[in-house]
Amino acid sequence: MAGPKQARIRAPTTASLPNNLRIPSTAHSLTKTLGKLSRQALLDLALTWLDDKNIQSFPPYLQQEQNNNNEDEEALPYPAAETVEEVRQVYEDFQERKGGKREVLERILEGDWRQGITLRQLAMADIRHMDDHPASLRWTALELGRIDPKRKKSNKSAPEDWSSNVPRIQAASFVKALQREISPLVKAHYHLARSSGLPLTILRIFIVDSPYQSPRQTPEIFADSSRVIYVAFPDSCPYIYTSVSASNGPKTPAPLTSSIATDPRSLQRLVRDAVPKALSRPHERYTLKATALAAKNLPTLLALRGAGRSTAANGSFSIFADAALEGSPLDPRPSNTVSAQEHMRSGHRHVKYDDKENMNPAQNTEKSSRKSGKRVPGVDGSAGLSPTSKKRRLAVDSRFGTAAVSLTPAPLDRLDVRLLDGPTSGGEESRPVGGMPPVSLTFSGSDVIGGIRKLAELGVIDPERMPSWLTGEEAVSMAVVRDGRRIKKND
Amino acid sequence: MNTRANSGTPDPQAAHLDNEIASIRTESKHPAYHNTKHKAERTNSNKSQVQNLKRRKRFLSSSLLASKNIQPLLSKPLTSLHTELSPLAEAADTHSETNHYRIAFGTTAFPFKDPSPSAPSENLLGIRIDVSTRNGRFAKPYYVLLRRERVKAQAEKQLRVHRHTIPGFISVAKLEGFYLPSAFAGRGVEVADSEGSEEEAEAETGPMKQKKVSVRRQDLRGFVRELRRELTAWHLRCDAVDLLRERLGLSEDENSGSGSRSGSADRLSPESKAGIVSLAATTSETRYVRLEWEDGRVGRFKLTNTGVVERAVVIGDLGRDKQVEDAMTGAGGRIESLLERLRKHAPSPISP
Repeated sequence: MAGPKQARIRAPTTASLPNNLRIPSTAHSLTKTLGKLSRQALLDLALTWLDDKNIQSFPPYLQQEQNNNNEDEEALPYPAAETVEEVRQVYEDFQERKGGKREVLERILEGDWRQGITLRQLAMADIRHMDDHPASLRWTALELGRIDPKRKKSNKSAPEDWSSNVPRIQAASFVKALQREISPLVKAHYHLARSSGLPLTILRIFIVDSPYQSPRQTPEIFADSSRVIYVAFPDSCPYIYTSVSASNGPKTPAPLTSSIATDPRSLQRLVRDAVPKALSRPHERYTLKATALAAKNLPTLLALRGAGRSTAANGSFSIFADAALEGSPLDPRPSNTVSAQEHMRSGHRHVKYDDKENMNPAQNTEKSSRKSGKRVPGVDGSAGLSPTSKKRRLAVDSRFGTAAVSLTPAPLDRLDVRLLDGPTSGGEESRPVGGMPPVSLTFSGSDVIGGIRKLAELGVIDPERMPSWLTGEEAVSMAVVRDGRRIKKND
Repeated sequence: MNTRANSGTPDPQAAHLDNEIASIRTESKHPAYHNTKHKAERTNSNKSQVQNLKRRKRFLSSSLLASKNIQPLLSKPLTSLHTELSPLAEAADTHSETNHYRIAFGTTAFPFKDPSPSAPSENLLGIRIDVSTRNGRFAKPYYVLLRRERVKAQAEKQLRVHRHTIPGFISVAKLEGFYLPSAFAGRGVEVADSEGSEEEAEAETGPMKQKKVSVRRQDLRGFVRELRRELTAWHLRCDAVDLLRERLGLSEDENSGSGSRSGSADRLSPESKAGIVSLAATTSETRYVRLEWEDGRVGRFKLTNTGVVERAVVIGDLGRDKQVEDAMTGAGGRIESLLERLRKHAPSPISP
């Protein structure tokens, strides 16, 4: 129990911040952080803390403690309970009746945990908030690549397994390794949790630039969201997601030696650089590569850089990812008579990953179910025909695939494109105007690709001629385009 | 522009059915019938009913058309219906033939046209892999789309993987690097394979290295074979874990409702369950499976592609339980007989 009062003697250590380091309940930022949670979430959390498994870690304030320092406690609004059971009852009563979250929050901070909220409790609260709001953070997807200089020689014999570079992570040893990497520079608190709805393991790292076990900074710092880094490990795929923005890649020389890194940003970078090292083992080195994808939504990242089918088949190829094109070989119906919707429904239960995504109700099913299931006829430019919109719809569907009704919807909140070609002169000719500077485009919104699709449906964009980076086919949120094609950065 | 291998026919059948559906829809709705779409959205219950009927009708009619008894009759121009029926019969025939190929060989190819105007090569070669699963169905087909790229140094075009729907834990990049080596490997979206980039450098620099490039030819068959093997092995692993779960009464099959599920779990005596309360794959890859016993021991084992328990760890309060570990990996280590082996060992650890 390293409460701020007891910490008289302090010596710099390399240990991590202890789970039970208490943040004074009076800290304003704590109220703010916990206040983000819903009433139900707060109640769930409080009951988890009071669970038999956790009661040792987060003991509530009880009567017997009150007797020891019995000076000014009477004034507080919540009398201390006598047993843990009594405290539990309080929260169960809250659960049964309706009310605001204010009363629960006050009860937690001024009543049962008036001595302070521990770092672990705060971490649990943050993780819960993320589970409830999967779009609350901006995530960057990074690819784990294996550095393997010996592979060049093994030209002849086939490797025995074709599994990707997914390192086996044992959570505790990974955190230990990470701690070893960053402890000389950063003091951190680690919290590992499994996402409730998504196939993800989330590591929350809280960082402080102090060598002491109980830092003397103001308590406000503990709830400072810029000091919190999340690293998410999706199941069975060679990617990791982090909440650290990837503005400077891993290759930028870190000015470690010159300046003492104290601002949250450089601390974050230190942690980020340490992650691949902590994942590595002797003879098995990993590196992180940027994948040009950042999005606010975790499901988006899972769809575009995950273990599922849609990672390498998007845009017009999403018909393959969703298997919207053809049915099972046992289906007697010729596949062009069956709607895409039905193809997608049948058989999606086989992949566990897909099941979760199905909770999102596929909206306006009717819209594209009939159309995208059909073969896409060769669309010639003649717009004089009467069913112009139908024709356009077919073209749109061929370019965007099943994106609107996909089993794994992947809304991008931002799309940055840098055009090296320069603007075209008229629209007829794709020849760049000489000497024009490159143009950067930024789209933002709740679903950028969906919006572009709408525009194409309305006829604002010609679906046949639009480049593939506009249709979401490239599955990136940042692209550099030359000659109508995305330039793939590869080392 | 036929985007798929089979059914080259334009859709007279589809058109016919569309008419049918339209008529059913009009019947099921208010007479004022303007905008099918909006109405359909409004009347949801009607819609689902119509859709069910529609689905059933299609299923029956196409089964009938594709059946062996009907097919020869339809091919003869006996009745006046022939002109109307023969395209339908033909489509059904082609389709069932395609299905036969898919069932028998599991891997089929088809052409696909990339609709993107800036696509590097618009004609793609599609490969479809069908894997059958334990419940007597086929998993969603897996697709790999390959593009042809012309290499400067060589006359023939080379294949590159363009898009695919292979799950992330099977490394298509690795497979591609080995079986479809190419001078372009270094520029792919995927992990630049070291071999590929090496060869890229070689192909450009020296004529003496040219030899080496020509030694490693592209092997599409090998690529597809290994890919299919990996996919099948994955599904077999999933099936094996499903089987074990079913035997333990842990299966959450949607066919057996929640009531019967708990019933089946209750029916199993603790002995037959070998004291196991939970068994599940740790991730969707189903390479590692986690076990939990009722006395608090937890275990984990690794499953190979051939269905053998390769390694196992069981840890209880008193440290590792080597006996159970040996029981899991011993006697051939087949996953299917895992429970029998554990049952034999169950009494001893439970007694204290």
